[in-house]
Amino acid sequence: MDGLSWHTLSFNPLAAFGLLLLLGAIGGQVATRVARLPGVTGYLLAGLVIGPAGLGLVGNQALSQASLFVELALGLALFEIGRRIDLHWLRRETALLSTSALTSLLIFVALYALLLSFGLKPVGAALLAAIGVATSPAVILEIVRETRAEGQVSERLATATGLNTLFALMAFGLALAYSGVADSAAPGDKLLSTAWLMLGSAALGLVAGMAAIRLNAWLGGGERRAQQVLLFALIALVVGVAELLETLPAMALLVFGMASQNLRRGQTVAEPDLLSRSHIFFVAFFVASGALLSPASLSMYWPVALLYVLVRLGVSVACWLAAARFNGLSLKQGALLGLAAMPLSGGAFTLLLLASPMLEAGVATGALLAALCILELIGPVMTRLSLRLSGETRE
Amino acid sequence: MLEFSNSEPLTLGVELELMIVNRRHYNLTRGSDDLLALIGREQHGFDIKPEITQGMIEIGTAVHRDTRAMLAELLAIRALLVKSAEKLNLGLSGGGSHPFQHWSDQRIYPKERYRLVSELYGYLAKQFTVYGQHIHIGCPNGDVAVRLTHYLARYIPHFIALSASSPFHQGVDTLFQTSRLTSVNAFPLSGSMPMVKNWDEFNDYFARMAHLGIVESMKDFYWDIRPKPEYGTVEIRICDTPLAIDTPVLLAAYAQMLARRCFEEDWNDIHPDRQLTYSYNRFQACRFGYDAVLVDAASQRQTSLLEDMLETLNALTPHAIALGAESEHAQLRERVLKRNIDSQWLRDIHADSGSLSDVVQQASERWMYGEPGRN
Repeated sequence: MDGLSWHTLSFNPLAAFGLLLLLGAIGGQVATRVARLPGVTGYLLAGLVIGPAGLGLVGNQALSQASLFVELALGLALFEIGRRIDLHWLRRETALLSTSALTSLLIFVALYALLLSFGLKPVGAALLAAIGVATSPAVILEIVRETRAEGQVSERLATATGLNTLFALMAFGLALAYSGVADSAAPGDKLLSTAWLMLGSAALGLVAGMAAIRLNAWLGGGERRAQQVLLFALIALVVGVAELLETLPAMALLVFGMASQNLRRGQTVAEPDLLSRSHIFFVAFFVASGALLSPASLSMYWPVALLYVLVRLGVSVACWLAAARFNGLSLKQGALLGLAAMPLSGGAFTLLLLASPMLEAGVATGALLAALCILELIGPVMTRLSLRLSGETRE
Repeated sequence: MLEFSNSEPLTLGVELELMIVNRRHYNLTRGSDDLLALIGREQHGFDIKPEITQGMIEIGTAVHRDTRAMLAELLAIRALLVKSAEKLNLGLSGGGSHPFQHWSDQRIYPKERYRLVSELYGYLAKQFTVYGQHIHIGCPNGDVAVRLTHYLARYIPHFIALSASSPFHQGVDTLFQTSRLTSVNAFPLSGSMPMVKNWDEFNDYFARMAHLGIVESMKDFYWDIRPKPEYGTVEIRICDTPLAIDTPVLLAAYAQMLARRCFEEDWNDIHPDRQLTYSYNRFQACRFGYDAVLVDAASQRQTSLLEDMLETLNALTPHAIALGAESEHAQLRERVLKRNIDSQWLRDIHADSGSLSDVVQQASERWMYGEPGRN
C-alpha cells in the first residue's frame, strides 16, 4: 500500500460512472422529496454541487473518465428522438412539420440578431444561434417518461424536438461551412471537412438503420430480448464509430433513429423501450451535465444569457400559440407546447467544443455557458409544468 | 316503475366501442380527449362519445330499418374518425380487447359516472377496458321485450362465434376465441336477466333490487342481453367489436332476422331450464368458437355450434327474404361455412410475425381502411 494515498488516487471509468450514479440517485431523491422538483433537475443539481464549480468532489478527470457512459446516454436519447420523426405522419400532418421548421428558423434568426447586437462576429453568432434551435432530447424524453405523459402535446413535443435537433445540426453544419468560406486560408479544405462531418454522419446513421431493420426482421418479433440487445449494440457501435471517423455522433444517431422508423419494414424494429431500460445511463448523463455547468459565467454574462433564454422561449411560445389550431390543439395546449420545448440540449457542450476554434473565447462561450446554466436548471421544471397543465401526466 | 318507450318493431341501431392506439408502438393511448376535441370542430351530428377509459371511444348509429343504410352511416362515421385520427397520428381498431395493454396503465375518463364506477369496482373498472358491439332491436312494448330477451339468450353462442376477436389478453394467447367476456363476468350484476315473464314482473324485480340499494338504473345491470326501456329496445351486449367495419351490420341483420321469427311465431316458451345451460354454452362458444358443443336442455341433446348455426340460418331464410336481407343472410352463411372467425385472423398474424404490435397494426389498418365486402 506504500505510496497509495487518497490524493494520488485517480478514477477509472467504472469508478467515475459509479460515483456519478450514486450521487445522482441521492440528489434526485432529495430534489423530488424535499423540493418536489423533477428527478432530472435533482440529478443536474447534484452534479452542480459535487462538480468543479461546487464542492469539487468530482473533478474534470473523473468527468472525462465517465464520458463513455455519458456519450452512450446522449446516443440513446438521440436515437429515440430520431424515431419520433415519423415521416409517414409528417407527410399528412404538414402543420406539425411546417410549425417546427418555422419555429426553428425564427429562433435561429432572432438569436443570431441578438448575438450580433452584443458584438459577436457573424460566424460565432450563427454557431451559437444554431445550438439554440435544439430542444434537449434527453430532458424531454426523461420528463415524459417520469410523468408518464400521453397526448398530443407530448407527442408533438417529442416530434418537434427531433425535428429541431435535426435542423439545429444542419444549421450548425452550414455555419461551420460558412466559417470556412469566411475565415480559412484554405476554404476548400474546411468545406470538405464540414461536408464529411455532416454527410458522413448521415450515411453512417442510414447504414445502421438499414442494418437494424434487416437484423430485426431476421430475428423475428418473437425474439424481443435479442432485438433489444441488438439495438443497444448498434447504438453503442454508431457512437463509437462516429467518433472514430471524426463525424458527428449526434447526427449519426439521429439519422439512425429516423431511418429505423421510416425505411421500409421499419416496423420490424420493435418499439425499443430502451429509454426506461437505460435509465442509469441517463442519470449519469444528467449528473455529468450538472457538473459541467459554470455558474461563474452566469455572473459575468447574465444579460446576454438571459436575453438568449427569453428570446428563444418567446419565439417558441408565440409560434406554437399561433399555429395551435392548425395542429389540432387548443390555444392553451399550443402555448404549453412552446413552453415545454424550453430545455436546451446537453449536447450543446459537444457542439461548443467543436465550434470553439471559431468562437471568441470571451463573450461567445461565456454567453452560451451562462444560458445553459439557466436552461438546464429551469427547463425541466417548465417542461413538467407544461405537461401537467395540459392534463397529459398521470400525477 | 320503469316506463318502456314503445318503438317501431325490428328497427335497429348498433354501438361500437373502439380502441385508440398509438401508431408508434400500437399500445393503447390516452387519445379520446384529443380525438373528441378535434371531431367536435366539425358539424357532423353523429353519436361519438367517450367510454370508461381514455384509450376507448364509442360510436353509435341512428335508428335504421334496413342494414344497408346502417352500413352507409357507419362508413360516414368512420371517414370522419379516420380523418381526425390521422391528423393526431392515432390508430383506431376493432377487436374485443387489446392484445398486450396492461390494465393498470389505463386511465379512467374524467366523468362523474365513470369516477363512481371506478370507486365502487376498484381495479375491475380499469380491467373493463374491453371493446364490445351492442345491438338494439326495437320492440313494441315491454312484454315483447322481455320475451325477446329470453328468446335471444338461446342464440348467444352464435353471436359470440360470429364476433370473437379477443384471443390475446395482457400479452398472452388465452386459447379462448374471446377473452373479453371473462372481464365482464367479474361484475356482480353480469350474466343474464332473471326468469321474469313480462314487463310487470320485470318491474317488480327492478323495484326490489332498487329498494335493496343494489341498483339505481338499468345501467347497473351488466347482463349479456337486457331490455333498454328508455329506447324501447332489447340490447344484445355479448359481441366483441368485430375487426371489419361491415361485420357489425351482419350481426345486426342476424339479430333482426331472429327477432322477426320471435315476433312472427309469438314465441313465449320462457322456461327456467334454459338457464341451466346458458353459462355452459356461453363458455363453450367463448373457448372454442365454431367448434363449441352446445347443450340443448329442451331437446336433451348436444349439438355442434356450427350445425346449430346452419340449421338456424336455414330456418331464418323466409325472414331474411321478408326483411330484404338475403345478401346479409348469404354472407352469414358463407362466413359460418368457411368458419371465418376474427380471432383466428389475429392468431395467424401473430404466428407469422411473432409480434403483438404487428397484430394491432394490421387490425387497426383493417378497421380504418378495409373496404366493406372484402374482409
